Amino acid sequence: MIATLIVVPILAAVLLLLLPRRAEGTAKWIGVAISFLAFFATIGLAGAPDESVRWLQRPFTANFHVGLGHGLSYWIVLLLTLSTGCALMATNVPRRRDFVAQMLFLLGAMAGVFLARDLVLFALFWDLMLIPVFFILLGWGPERSNSAWRYLLYNVTGGVALLLAVAAYGVLEGSTDLIGASLGHGASVVGNGWGLWIFAGFAFAFAIKTPVWPFHTWMPATYVDLPAPAVAVVSAVQSKAGLYGFIAIVLPLLPEQVQAAAGIMFVLGLVALVYGAVVALVQDDAKSIVAYSSLSHLGLIVLGIFSGNALALGGAAVYVIAHGLFSAGLFLAIDQFETREGSRSLKRLGGLGARNPKLAGGLTIVALAALGLPGLCGFAGEILILTGLYASGNVWPAVIALVPIVLAAAYMLRLFQDVMQGPEVADVPQRPDLTLLELLALAPLVVAIVLLGVNPGPVAGSANVQSAVSLVQGTR
Amino acid sequence: MIFALWLLPFAGALAIWAFGPQLKRLAGALGAATVLTSFAIALALAGQTFTGRGVKAPLVSWAQGFSFGLLLDPLSLLWVFVITGVGGLIHVYSIGYMSGDRAFARFFAYMNFFVFAMLTLVLSDNFVGLLVGWGLVGLASYFLIGFWFFKPSAVAAARKAFVINVVGDIGLMFGIFVLFAATHTTTYAGVFAKAGSLAPLTVTLACFGLFVACAAKSAQLPLHTWLPDAMEGPTPVSALIHAATMVTAGVYLIARCAPLWDVSPEARALVGTIGALTALTGAVLGCVQWDIKRILAYSTMSQIGYMIMGVGVGAYQAGILHFYTHAFFKATLFLGAGILIHALHDEQDVRKMGGLARRQPFAFWAMTVGTLAIIGFPGLSGFFSKDAVIYGTLEHGYPLLYAIGMVTAGITAYYMCRMLFVTFFGSYRGDVPSAQLGVAASTNPPVAHEAPSGHEGAHAPAWLMQVPVALLMIPSVIAGYVWFGSRDGPLAYGGPGSLWFGYFTTNFATRAEAVQAAVPEWLSTVLVLALVGIGAFVAYRRYAASAASANAVERLRAESLTAWRPLTRALYFDDAIELVFVRPASAIGAAFARVVDPQVLDGAVRDVAWLAGWLGREMRALQTGLVRGYALVVVLGVAGFLVYFAWFGTVR
Amino acid sequence: MSPMPVDVLNYVLLSAVMFFIGVGGVILRRNPLIVLMAIELMFNAANLALIAFSRVYENNAGHIFAFLVITVAAAEAAIGLAIVVVVFRRAKHVDVDDVAGLHG
Repeated sequence: MIATLIVVPILAAVLLLLLPRRAEGTAKWIGVAISFLAFFATIGLAGAPDESVRWLQRPFTANFHVGLGHGLSYWIVLLLTLSTGCALMATNVPRRRDFVAQMLFLLGAMAGVFLARDLVLFALFWDLMLIPVFFILLGWGPERSNSAWRYLLYNVTGGVALLLAVAAYGVLEGSTDLIGASLGHGASVVGNGWGLWIFAGFAFAFAIKTPVWPFHTWMPATYVDLPAPAVAVVSAVQSKAGLYGFIAIVLPLLPEQVQAAAGIMFVLGLVALVYGAVVALVQDDAKSIVAYSSLSHLGLIVLGIFSGNALALGGAAVYVIAHGLFSAGLFLAIDQFETREGSRSLKRLGGLGARNPKLAGGLTIVALAALGLPGLCGFAGEILILTGLYASGNVWPAVIALVPIVLAAAYMLRLFQDVMQGPEVADVPQRPDLTLLELLALAPLVVAIVLLGVNPGPVAGSANVQSAVSLVQGTR
Repeated sequence: MIFALWLLPFAGALAIWAFGPQLKRLAGALGAATVLTSFAIALALAGQTFTGRGVKAPLVSWAQGFSFGLLLDPLSLLWVFVITGVGGLIHVYSIGYMSGDRAFARFFAYMNFFVFAMLTLVLSDNFVGLLVGWGLVGLASYFLIGFWFFKPSAVAAARKAFVINVVGDIGLMFGIFVLFAATHTTTYAGVFAKAGSLAPLTVTLACFGLFVACAAKSAQLPLHTWLPDAMEGPTPVSALIHAATMVTAGVYLIARCAPLWDVSPEARALVGTIGALTALTGAVLGCVQWDIKRILAYSTMSQIGYMIMGVGVGAYQAGILHFYTHAFFKATLFLGAGILIHALHDEQDVRKMGGLARRQPFAFWAMTVGTLAIIGFPGLSGFFSKDAVIYGTLEHGYPLLYAIGMVTAGITAYYMCRMLFVTFFGSYRGDVPSAQLGVAASTNPPVAHEAPSGHEGAHAPAWLMQVPVALLMIPSVIAGYVWFGSRDGPLAYGGPGSLWFGYFTTNFATRAEAVQAAVPEWLSTVLVLALVGIGAFVAYRRYAASAASANAVERLRAESLTAWRPLTRALYFDDAIELVFVRPASAIGAAFARVVDPQVLDGAVRDVAWLAGWLGREMRALQTGLVRGYALVVVLGVAGFLVYFAWFGTVR
Repeated sequence: MSPMPVDVLNYVLLSAVMFFIGVGGVILRRNPLIVLMAIELMFNAANLALIAFSRVYENNAGHIFAFLVITVAAAEAAIGLAIVVVVFRRAKHVDVDDVAGLHG
């Protein structure tokens, strides 16, 4: 049953192409229906037993093994299906049938990444999920932009590193069926000589995908060029694949190497945190602000993952979901005023809130979550990560990481205020407020942001996270 | 019950937010009703609070050491009374004040949300819940400062207030880090139980972090600059948030964390000093302001400086008493000013007022009572509380702070009387051209109410605004008498206040090290009164004596034009923040965006691509296209392998 | 089965000689038909060695491989001749050195 979460969207994507080209509305609603069905199916399947089919025996054992559990995978797949559904609901891109097909393919491939319990399977879906994004960039991005190739080159380079690392691990360990259920496995025979190389391969792939500074330059270009529904899903979920990889694969399988590399990763995370925040401060393109703020926020998650502290790791899990929710919300809200006013430049817009109170309200909540307002989901992740960092003895990283919180307040308010507040700009037409449908597309995300902010306990305590920590700490 | 107390205002906010257009005028009534109901519930719960260890209710748990709950103990009860009581009255007042505004419902949604946030802050039983409330009140403050969001100045003021408050939030977060690392819990009970056994440095660090939060929220130096700007919000907002409740959150935090402050002399010295300097700075800057709300804002800053000084040095009862009395008389002052502003169609410059005692007798009496209370006129509430704070510093061994407190009391008397005299005495100057009065022409054009003014018929009845003010005047006069009967007040035990103020202060152990003051309390009181008298007299001579009234216009103009520039620039705090933080951050960000990203990082990637291209160009010569040549290379390769194996043995 | 009358070394040597004749043909001749024939010669050299060793070790794998190689050789010849025909049609004469469109 779990495998249907992967297979059905991909099949649907192929079947959609059988529809007549003009059936745009039908295609859209099929996409929305499948996403939400997958969402509820995921809830229904929580804790279902893993499913495994034997696959390879030479040169090492690899199984077609998928599982959901209650852990981080479960929450990310919920996030994935929810954000895809919301993103598709209000979309009005051209050639919608093909677009929805690409999005469903993306949904299936990413579900595969997060449900795979085998490294080879994981690597397979990892590369598969690049394809729809590449085609969306080519087909729906602006003309004469090289962002599609940039995206592909960066991420395929990472994918090759991942594949090599998986192969090396499989040859040395004899099996790649390791993720998730067998987290207790731990009896890694990977020696230090090969271990560091394997770690480097994983870390390189995950760092590009996340992205971690300095591998991030593909990201702002991609985010700016992708149409809103796609960027909402890519920034919300696809960028989490790298962090998920760190938490679910690298932490349990290579604990010694994590210890050894923690220093470097701390530096990179901190640089990303501060760097992203100050660059976001001076951007005039609303999407660029969110893109660079993502760099900053994801750096914080890297700190939490490599702190080796249960609280911080729980916080990292919370922030993974939280960032997904509010970045999807931000990109969707930005799209809504961009399609209204034909611009997303802070210099150009102003005072939209007077005529668009609903849109302003929606943007307010997601922006507040992004700047870490206590009571919303961003804060819950932040405080857990930072408290854990400090408590684990990483005093200075925790203190430095406080500064970007102030910067986040500054750039998020700038984004919100320059667009929504101030006097109305005379030559920008003030088009009508959100329709009911557009409001419904934002509402689930907003509700989830509040719920996660009030009680992140279930996510922070995901089973995966806890056992990963005990593993890391066991080596101390 | 405690949940109802806590969530009713939130429910009101949600209802007004969702159904504002349908509710129309009822939105205000609904807002006021929910807050006043909360007040009634607080009254009903008061008995339980006094008898046990407070009312408790668990909420959720995030992780080990991060569990949340509600706690209503005497300390939070006092704040709850002020928040819901004064807040409820201000809600009623607002129904009148905001009656002409298009966004009437939105205003009450925000106000109710603020009350909810403030209740979260004081009802939380742990530091993280406190931080949640701390952030939410900051948000409510942001919403309400920027309420008229079409005014660029209001938008800028709101952003400034929010960002500076976030600086406070991270201070509080830092405090939580330190305390959690040392005690593995975030609940008050858990932390304070271990307060005595913590390393002194740990406690001082934690207190420092917590005080950064207090400084930002309570407008203490050097994080005070947002408060005067916050007067961009509607006047009831200034009364509720920026005078009576939110800005005193810092006082609450320090009083709540008394067990920490008790064991850290460094923290006491730091907080006491900052409080005293803030009191002095606020008072001095108040002397050169002309906007009636900015005068009150600086006086708020100054009075909170007193409170912080009091709780900082360990005179908790005195500091809390001053919070308590200040909430009443400052709300009275702001609401009185609001009546004037409302009547004068959004004129806020006192130079354009004058002689209003006859035209606005009610506002005159309200402001007079408020002013007398704030300057410490004998018998009014401020007299007891301010005296207690000033004397408290001496009792706890800070003679220098004592001196600053005394001087500040004199200055307070001066600038408050100055405001009163310029506004209400002499003759009306509203029709005198601005230039003659020295009013700068470039002041922000007030666009306050969106509905065209002049629809006098549309205004709510005057009693809606007068009754709350009248009700606030009563405690402004008498609230100080609860001091009799608190533990170390003059008439210890058995006085009228022992029933409740005395009870609520029993939580604070009087520290053994409190020294015997060199000056007896009666003498200190006389000295303060003398300074107050001098201040009031100077103000009288300069602004109200017949010689001054005669040529008021020229005198005001001269004073406006010759004021010492550092004072009118508010001692350059804003400029310093701009220069040291804002500009460098923007410059660094621009440098990263324009140089590091495209040149350095993408440059490195481009170099790799160029390397691949170069290799290809160099190697293409090998690709001749001659099949026979390729075959030869293959044969030679095979031959090479053969030779290798012949020479070095077998494969493995 | 009687013991082998001829020593296996002779087969291997014959196979080597055939193989190098083939190599020489591929490298030295420019007529594609001759080149193809030389390649066939190399295939058959390999076949000879396979079958010889198959006999020595009394293992049928060598025979099977020989059949496989014959099949591949047939396919290769078919494709190779087809290419030659196409090239001849375009250029009206055939010389492997003239078919150098892949030079860098």
